[in-house]
Amino acid sequence: MKKDTGKYLPLIPVFAVYLVLFLVGKNMSGMWQLMAMLLFYCALGQAFNIFLGMTGYVDFGYVAFMGVGTYGMALSIVHLAQYEGLGAWVIVIGLVMAILFSTALSLCVGAVALRLRGAYFAIATIGVNEGFRFLIEGARIWNGSEGMIFMAELNRILGRDGASALATFWADVMVLVIAALAATVTLVYMRSKIGYALTALREDEDAAKVMGINVTKFKIVAFVTSASFAGLVGATSWALKTPYVFPPEVFEIHYTIEAIIIVLLGGAGTLLGPVAGGLIYGLSKYYLSIFLPGFQLLIFAPIIICIIVLFPEGVVGMFKKRFRDSALGRYIV
Amino acid sequence: MALLKLEEVTKRFGGLIAVNAVSLEIESGEFVGIVGPNGSGKTTLFNVISGVFFPEEGRVYFEDKDITRLPPYRRAPLGLGRTFQIPRPFASASVRENVAVGAMFGVLGPEVNVDQSLEIADQIIERVGLQEHRAKQAGALTPVEKKLMEIARALAMKPKLLLMDEAMAGMHPSDIDGMVQFIKSLAKDEGIAVVAMVEHIMRAVVGMAEQVIVLDQGSKIVDAPTKQALEDPKVIEVYLGHPPEE
Repeated sequence: MKKDTGKYLPLIPVFAVYLVLFLVGKNMSGMWQLMAMLLFYCALGQAFNIFLGMTGYVDFGYVAFMGVGTYGMALSIVHLAQYEGLGAWVIVIGLVMAILFSTALSLCVGAVALRLRGAYFAIATIGVNEGFRFLIEGARIWNGSEGMIFMAELNRILGRDGASALATFWADVMVLVIAALAATVTLVYMRSKIGYALTALREDEDAAKVMGINVTKFKIVAFVTSASFAGLVGATSWALKTPYVFPPEVFEIHYTIEAIIIVLLGGAGTLLGPVAGGLIYGLSKYYLSIFLPGFQLLIFAPIIICIIVLFPEGVVGMFKKRFRDSALGRYIV
Repeated sequence: MALLKLEEVTKRFGGLIAVNAVSLEIESGEFVGIVGPNGSGKTTLFNVISGVFFPEEGRVYFEDKDITRLPPYRRAPLGLGRTFQIPRPFASASVRENVAVGAMFGVLGPEVNVDQSLEIADQIIERVGLQEHRAKQAGALTPVEKKLMEIARALAMKPKLLLMDEAMAGMHPSDIDGMVQFIKSLAKDEGIAVVAMVEHIMRAVVGMAEQVIVLDQGSKIVDAPTKQALEDPKVIEVYLGHPPEE
């Protein structure tokens, strides 16, 4: 493992899964939508894992970062569509805005809430999401509860065909790229001092402090990184795929819960975990709703309970432990 | 210049005075035992020195730098290491990674990268004799191995002063002798001052410390060379009660 080339081997299985999803979606008719959904869940898990998995802190307000990311993209499109010269650059500006918005919000939340521990942090973050939503609605910021619809602006920027290709194909490709980027950043963190510091503080925060680790700083690093990827996922998977934004939809706590389930199912703090979690979660949700419409949650809950009981460290967590010493272990981290 | 200097340090918890106006000096390379019965304020004193608590009164100096209100993570890079009474390994990480964390954020922290830290970890793991368990998860070690790993982790920080909290508690007497010799030789080789906190195991104190500080109810009652300290009537009284009256 001393060679630099060996360090990044674990990305191979992650990228392989993403590639397979892409190829299946592209080449098998009718599969794109399902694959896009799986990619969304993988990206969500991969982004959230950087915080939840690596620090062990549970953020119940995570969806707020996706929400402000969606707003970042929406505002860019709404306000910049009138400048003809910008063209598709509006989308790029929207992505930058999404990162700025989610980074700014996560810095504000993190600087205060990350001084709390465990359950207290979790409780504090529940308020962030709801509070932000009511702020937007109550203070009528960004059009308040009426939200924004920007189909016309997108059509003006990209043309009708371009906008439709964006919504049905390119937005999903962007989600794939974001998921791959999040995976890469995860591994870079794992292999750097940041990763060691995060592992230490996840296992024993007081011992970590005495060992010379500025725990608040490293928690904020993980929090902001994770949040900015959430902002990107919101901007692409929500704003670009469905060209409108309403506060109750983008600040829906349901997505936070989904993200937590995905990370825990797959294996918190592992690189491949969110991919496995995203696939298990996405596939079961999709097929259960087809074969047992109306009963999917009833069946789904016991499945999740079984997986958590059988693999307390997540599916990948278990494999990681089992193949620790074998050649395969180099690919699973 | 004293390596560590405490001036009239007082720490209260509500109405309870856990450490009462304690002053002491530790020279570099010295080996000092802190003894005292349960509740005498040893652990609180350790926590004040390592920065877990800040004292209400008094000052703490490390190499003449006032560190009274410095957060713990900024004390480690100055050369202040510590082990815990009950080992606190980073359980999911391997032994090697645990020890490497010490190198990464200790005195050497700013100079070494991850790979260099892992190399330092390997050397120190060999020094404490845990090389067979290098890749094991720290949580899976036996209690004695965990103690050794914690010592290795603290050594990887390249401390000038190592605070050892009940390093021998719960160990078999034959292991204690080995451990005492080991820590002594380590400290000598590396030029580390060691402050070891011991509740009852006099065997360890006598074998190890040149100087003994005895605490009772938060106050320092004796600070003397080991032999002398243990024969002091005040110390005997603290441990055994009043001598019978004639």
